[in-house]
Amino acid sequence: MPEGKYCNKKPIETEEELKELLGDTGGKKYYEEMKALDVDSELLWKTIGNTLKSRTKTWLEICAHCGMCADSCFLYLINDRDPKQVPAYKIQSTLGEIVKRKGKVDNEFMHMVMETAWAKCTCCNRCGMYCPHGIDMGVMFGYLRGLCYQQGFVPWELKIGAGMHRIYRAQMDVTNEEFVETFKWMVEEYEEDYPGLEVSVDKEGADILYTVNAREVKHYPEDLAEAAILFHLAGENWTVPSSGWEQTSLSMFAGDWAACKMQVESVYSAMERLKPKRMVGTECGHAHRATVIEGPYWAGRSNGKPPVESIHYVEWLAEALREGKLKVDPAKRIKKKVTLQDSCNYIRNNGLKEITREIMSYIVEPGYFIEMTPNKEHNFCCGGGGGFNGIGIFRPQRNKALITKRDQLINSGAELVISPCHNCWDAIRDLEDEYKIGIKWSFLKPLLVSMVEIPEHLKPKE
Amino acid sequence: MFKNILFATSATEASDHAARVAFNMAQIYDAKICIFHVLGVPTRGFSQLVMDVKTKEKVEIDDEYIAWVEEEIKVHYSKQLKTAKSFNIKVCVGFPHREILREARISAPDIIVLGGSTGNDEDSVYKNSTVGSTLQRVAKAAPCPLLVVNRPAASFWGGISKVVFGTDFSKASDAAFKFAVKLTKNRRCELNIFHALDISSMHMGRLLTQDEIESQIRESLRRIRGRYIDEMKEIKDYSFDVWEGLPYIEIVKYAREKHADLIVMAHHTQKSSNEDARLGSNIEQVIVRAGCPVISINK
Repeated sequence: MPEGKYCNKKPIETEEELKELLGDTGGKKYYEEMKALDVDSELLWKTIGNTLKSRTKTWLEICAHCGMCADSCFLYLINDRDPKQVPAYKIQSTLGEIVKRKGKVDNEFMHMVMETAWAKCTCCNRCGMYCPHGIDMGVMFGYLRGLCYQQGFVPWELKIGAGMHRIYRAQMDVTNEEFVETFKWMVEEYEEDYPGLEVSVDKEGADILYTVNAREVKHYPEDLAEAAILFHLAGENWTVPSSGWEQTSLSMFAGDWAACKMQVESVYSAMERLKPKRMVGTECGHAHRATVIEGPYWAGRSNGKPPVESIHYVEWLAEALREGKLKVDPAKRIKKKVTLQDSCNYIRNNGLKEITREIMSYIVEPGYFIEMTPNKEHNFCCGGGGGFNGIGIFRPQRNKALITKRDQLINSGAELVISPCHNCWDAIRDLEDEYKIGIKWSFLKPLLVSMVEIPEHLKPKE
Repeated sequence: MFKNILFATSATEASDHAARVAFNMAQIYDAKICIFHVLGVPTRGFSQLVMDVKTKEKVEIDDEYIAWVEEEIKVHYSKQLKTAKSFNIKVCVGFPHREILREARISAPDIIVLGGSTGNDEDSVYKNSTVGSTLQRVAKAAPCPLLVVNRPAASFWGGISKVVFGTDFSKASDAAFKFAVKLTKNRRCELNIFHALDISSMHMGRLLTQDEIESQIRESLRRIRGRYIDEMKEIKDYSFDVWEGLPYIEIVKYAREKHADLIVMAHHTQKSSNEDARLGSNIEQVIVRAGCPVISINK
C-alpha cells in the first residue's frame, strides 16, 4: 500500500494535520500503516545522488572494518558487546547497503534502518574520535535519518516534533504570543524579590539576544525567570525576540532537513532584525548544535557562522563570573560531592570542556568537585540523546542505554550532577526514576540564583 | 466578596476536606467554582507521555483520556456539584504549582482553594516532579488570597464568626490585614489580631528576663493599635493579643482558644538572606497544624 493517512512521506503542513497525528495516541495507527508503506526507491536514489557528498562516500568506502569504533560506543558496551552494535557495522548495514543497492530496498529493510538510526545511535559522535580514519558514524546517521524521514520511516514523536517546528517554529505548541506573555509573567512573579527586574522584547542593538527551549516556556517557566534574574544581576543589556526565540530543533533529530532550515532561519532573522551584539542560548546541548554549529550550513551561510556571534549559556556564565559581573557568595558554594555531565553537543562537538570546569571552580567549594570517568570530550552520551529520550517504541532500548550513565554516576560517588543540557537533564531524571540511585540533578541557573551576591543597589527595600 | 473560586484539587481523599470548604464557600457567596485538576506531569522529554497522578502509570494523553478524567472528577464530587450554582471542570497536564498559577492568571479568581498535601509518599507524582511543595510555590506567587485546608479537622467552614489575623508588622502583613478587615466586615464577625513575640531565635540564645518579654509585649500591643485601629472603626467585636513563644505554635494555640473559623496571614515574598529562607516557614507550619482553614496573602 502506498501512503497512509497518518504515516506517509508528506511532512506536516497544517495545524489540523498536526492535531490529527497527535490524536493517534501512541502512534498506534501510524506504525500500523508504516508496515505497508512503500519505499520510493527512485526518489531515494535520486536524493542520494544529490546529497551524498564526497566525505560520506569516502567514509563508507575507506572503513577498514577494524572494529576500533566498537568499544567507543556505549550502546555496544551496554548490549553485551553485540557485534550488531559495532558502529561501523551499524552504518554499513544500513546506509552502506542502501547505497550499494542503489536505493532498491524494501519496507522491512527500512524498518530495520529506522530502528538502527534512532535506537542504536544517539549521534553522540564519540566513535568519530576513536576511528583511525576519523570516520564519524554519528554524522552519517544524521544523514541517514534524513533519508528515512523522506521515505516516511520516522518515529511518531519525531514526525510530530518536526511538525511542531513547521507550524509553530518551536518544538512544542507554544505560540509567539504565549512565549512573550510567559516571559512577562515570570518577571512579574519575581520582580518583588528583584526590584527592577524586567524583560524587554525586541529591543534593537542589545548586547545579548536570549533564545530558549520551548519546554521552558511550556512546563517550567521558572527557567526563564532565572535567566532574567541572572542577566539582571549581572547588569546585562539583554532582550528576547518576539519571534525566532526557539533555539532547539527536533527537526534535526527527525531528519527533516527542510524544517531544520525553516527553524534556524527564524532565529537568524530575529538576529538580523534586532542586530544584537551577541546571541546567548539556554542550557541546551542540541539547541546549540542546531543553531550555532550546524544551522549556518542548513541556512546556506557561506562563512558557516550565524549572523551574529552566538554562544552557549555556559560561555556567558563563565564570562560573567570571570569578569565579576556575577559574584558567588563563597559561603554558599556547593559543599557536597558534585559531578558534571558533559553534553556531547557542545563539549565533544564544540570544545567547551574547560569553560564548564571554570564555572565549577567558582561555584563548588574546593575539594568537592569530582570528574566522571570518562569525561570531557570522552564522556559518554547521557543515554537519551539524539531524540532517544522521547521515542515511545524504543523506550526499552533507551532505558537500557541509561545504565552507562547510571554506573558512571554511581562510580563517581557524587550526590549531585550538574547538567547544563535539557536532554541530559531529562535522561538523568529518567534514570533516577528507573533505577533509583539517589542522585540529584540540576541546571546551572537555579544553583547560581541561590548563590550569587545581590549588589546593594539591586536589593529589595522593605 | 468571592464570586469566582478556583478549587485546585488532586481529586483524591487528600483534597476532600478542602472540597467541603470550597463548595461551602461557593454556596455562601453564590459563587462560580472552577474545579481544577492537574492530572499528570510531563515526562520523557518532548513526548506526549505523562505520569498519571492517580494511577502512577505513564499514559499517553489524548482528548479521550482527558474526558475520562473529567468524568471521574464529576463522579468524585457528584454530591457537592449538586449544591453548586455554576461550575466548570478543567483538567490539564503540567507541573501542578505552575498550572494552578497559570490558570489563576487567566481566570483571575477571587480566591484559590488548595487541597491538602498528597503526602510525603515517596512515589507521589507531584512530589517527584518538582523541588518543594505545590503549596509553597503557589503561596509565594498567587495573585489572590490562597485558602488551604490541610487537616480534616480544619475543614468546617459553615458560617464564619471568628477570624484570627496573625501579624508580624511587615508590609505583606498590611495587605493581609486589609483582607481580614474586608472579610470581617463582610461576614459581620469578630476579628482577633494577634502577634507572637518570637523568643526562640531573635536573641542569639540569650535568655530574656520576663520583664524584658513583658515590656516587648506592651510595645507590640502599642504597635498593633497604632498600625491597625484606624481602619477598624466599623468592626464591633475585636481583640488584640500578643503572646510570647514559637510564633507558629502560638498562633495555632491562639486560634484554638478563640475557636477561630479562619486564620489570615501574610506569606512573605521577600527572600531572607540566610538559610532559613525556608519559604515563610511560619505560615507553612500554621497551615500544617491549624484546626481551621488558613488564608495566605502575599500581595
